[in-house]
Amino acid sequence: MKKIYLPFLIILMTLTITCLSSAQLQEEEGLFQNISIKPGISYEYFSRTISWDEDEYTSKLKSYFFTFNTEFEIPNGLSLALIFGYSFTNYDELEFRELPISLELGVGKIGGYLLGSEIRKSFVSNEDLVIDGQAQFFVYLGSKEEWEIPGLSVEGTTEGKSSWMRFSVGPVFTYKGFAPIYPYLYLGFNKLWGKFKMDQTIQDLTGSEDKKISGESSFSTSLGFNFIVTEALSFKAEGNFMPYKDGVDLGFMIKAMYSF
Amino acid sequence: MKKEKIIFAFVIFPFLLFPANLKHFRFEKAKKPNPPISQQKTKPINKNQTLSSKLEHITPTQDPVKPKSSLSEQELESLITDRRVQKIREIHSVFSDRSRPDRGRKQRPDFSRPQIRSINEGRPFRLKGEQYVQDQVLVKFKPTLSDPMVEVTIAAYRSKKLKRIPRLNIYQLQIPEGTTVEEMLHVLSRNPDVEYVEPNYRAHITVTPNDILFSEQYALYNSGQEFGPAGSPQQGQSRADIKAREAWVETKGDEDIIIAIVDSGVDMDHPDINDKIQSNGRDFVNDDFDATDDLFHGTHVAGIAAAETNNEEGIAGVAWNCKILPVKVIDDTGWGDYADIIDGIRWAADNGADVINLSVGGDVFSLSLQEAVKYAYDNNIVVVCAAGNDGGSVLYPAAYEDYCLAVAATDYDDLRVSWSNYGPEVDVAAPGDQIISLVPTWYWGPDSLPYAYGDGTSMAAPHVSGLAALIKGLKPTLSVDDIMNIIRYSADDVNSTNYLGEDEFIGYGRINMEKALVPIIITTKKITILKKLLLDD
Repeated sequence: MKKIYLPFLIILMTLTITCLSSAQLQEEEGLFQNISIKPGISYEYFSRTISWDEDEYTSKLKSYFFTFNTEFEIPNGLSLALIFGYSFTNYDELEFRELPISLELGVGKIGGYLLGSEIRKSFVSNEDLVIDGQAQFFVYLGSKEEWEIPGLSVEGTTEGKSSWMRFSVGPVFTYKGFAPIYPYLYLGFNKLWGKFKMDQTIQDLTGSEDKKISGESSFSTSLGFNFIVTEALSFKAEGNFMPYKDGVDLGFMIKAMYSF
Repeated sequence: MKKEKIIFAFVIFPFLLFPANLKHFRFEKAKKPNPPISQQKTKPINKNQTLSSKLEHITPTQDPVKPKSSLSEQELESLITDRRVQKIREIHSVFSDRSRPDRGRKQRPDFSRPQIRSINEGRPFRLKGEQYVQDQVLVKFKPTLSDPMVEVTIAAYRSKKLKRIPRLNIYQLQIPEGTTVEEMLHVLSRNPDVEYVEPNYRAHITVTPNDILFSEQYALYNSGQEFGPAGSPQQGQSRADIKAREAWVETKGDEDIIIAIVDSGVDMDHPDINDKIQSNGRDFVNDDFDATDDLFHGTHVAGIAAAETNNEEGIAGVAWNCKILPVKVIDDTGWGDYADIIDGIRWAADNGADVINLSVGGDVFSLSLQEAVKYAYDNNIVVVCAAGNDGGSVLYPAAYEDYCLAVAATDYDDLRVSWSNYGPEVDVAAPGDQIISLVPTWYWGPDSLPYAYGDGTSMAAPHVSGLAALIKGLKPTLSVDDIMNIIRYSADDVNSTNYLGEDEFIGYGRINMEKALVPIIITTKKITILKKLLLDD
């Protein structure tokens, strides 16, 4: 578990330090009042083809999550966001063949906490087009669940705990010509990886399997728009496509933000 | 103009980025084939080749009937079928006399050699007890009904259209809650606009080997078909079997896994097993290295465990790809002494056996025999023993419960056979009644196929040995205790009505290869004691 937490903590600390330093700097310069804080809520869904057992098998990971976001916009074009939420992730069809009695997940969604951060920096801005760089990191920590193993001559259970992480980085091209709607295109390097630990106990027959999973696709294309309703209120919607060699994975996200 | 260019770029750019993927713009689930499943695909057969080779296999000792070029394919098929039926009729039962249970004592085959019936009189077997999706039906409306009217009709039945299969115009409907499929079938079938309606049946992947006597092997797949020696055909309960077809989807065994048959030897010239023999083995009766069977028993046992399978000939073995190591410890009268059996177990353990099948037994406890079984167990070898056939207590070595699996016998109805020995040492059961397998090629003489039906826990044990070999090949890191427990815990408690849980008649139950090998789908959260109490209230 430490391995999962570590990268997340590093990023979280980096973001926090950057944010605080930036705020401190601006406060010293009398610019603190120019930092805008945007709390918001969002809903996101994605379906991702994952491979496991050294890419021998594939199945789908489907996740949908509700998050609370706090975005800090700093005048020099930098914005930082901290994300916290709850996710339901479905790993059905994931198989565990190294357990004494092989198992396949058909349990549906598994709940778990979701933590994330996002950093965005503007590089090019003119009358019609803004080009930003964006990086995003999410970690999902699934709750521990226990299931019955059906059909055995004795009682047997299996206990599972899962986690996944998703990292994406890339440029965002935003067109400003349709104000107050701002369509954008995000081209990202997008990586998903994680693990699922399953412990089986059937009387004196026990076994454990650590399943490493990774997303088949590495790149994503997202099309979306920001709708600035008022100076304070905005909405965001995005659909994304993650092609891989045998098909395309899909996802979407909607978000509402309010500025202070 | 500038705006248009930017909009154009937004639309076109993603497609330029992934042009190769546009060809595969599909939203499907797993694309990578599951290798164990894909391995099940059999190669297409050249029909002409098959026909001529069948003739040679069927009439090995007669002048082969060469297909004349003037014969049509239909005529040729007819000729082959006639000859096949004729040969199948010549299979005989050697063990079916229940008054002479097989327990390692002298047994003589029944030389009256009753003819057996043809396989289901040439008719194909039909599956019974199909399963279907509980809340769905498939409906075909008459072509005269327009699409809007179809929608109205579906809505009138408070059903939901899940899918319309194009060109065939078959609708997959979800029926309303609280309505059974049977009720819906009844109601819809009375609608004059409905051409037909039927349940949405389920299908699943299975592997059916092409061995011509496979349909006689109810132990591996029991569809309720007729089987057995001529004159006394039997018909069992559908799916009273060890679920071999489903399990072979997952694995057919590893060529490196060796099943030692410590018995009366094996006929190494038998065409349905000769390519599966690891070596000439060891003969402790005659003290040489040629464990050729001069009885029949060892050959019969070996065939059940690992006869050559999918070879369009004879029977299927439980472990398709595993090898047989013959060890002869029983003489041509059906007797063997403990010293030879002990040495045979030791020799098998030292010569690469992964599983040892002991379809032999004695009434008397022996420390040295126990030590031999423990020696194999300590070397991570699964030892499978027949419980015995006199309806009494479990024989030795089966009774050494810490070191081996003791196997009782069930029949084609999943009932324990009355002669199957019982006691707390029994771990599991497997079919042991009217089991068809190999007999030595010399056994019936040149005019008959070398196969016969046999009864006994001797026949039940190799089913378990085959399963142990498949598990060992699939999961080589498991300990011998793990493999034995998998076989115990995955068994079907087929006598639970009278004896719930482990009992002294069939132990944990009749083995189930599917549950032991194929991933079990888990769907239900464990209900805690507190929840159970709340639910009970």
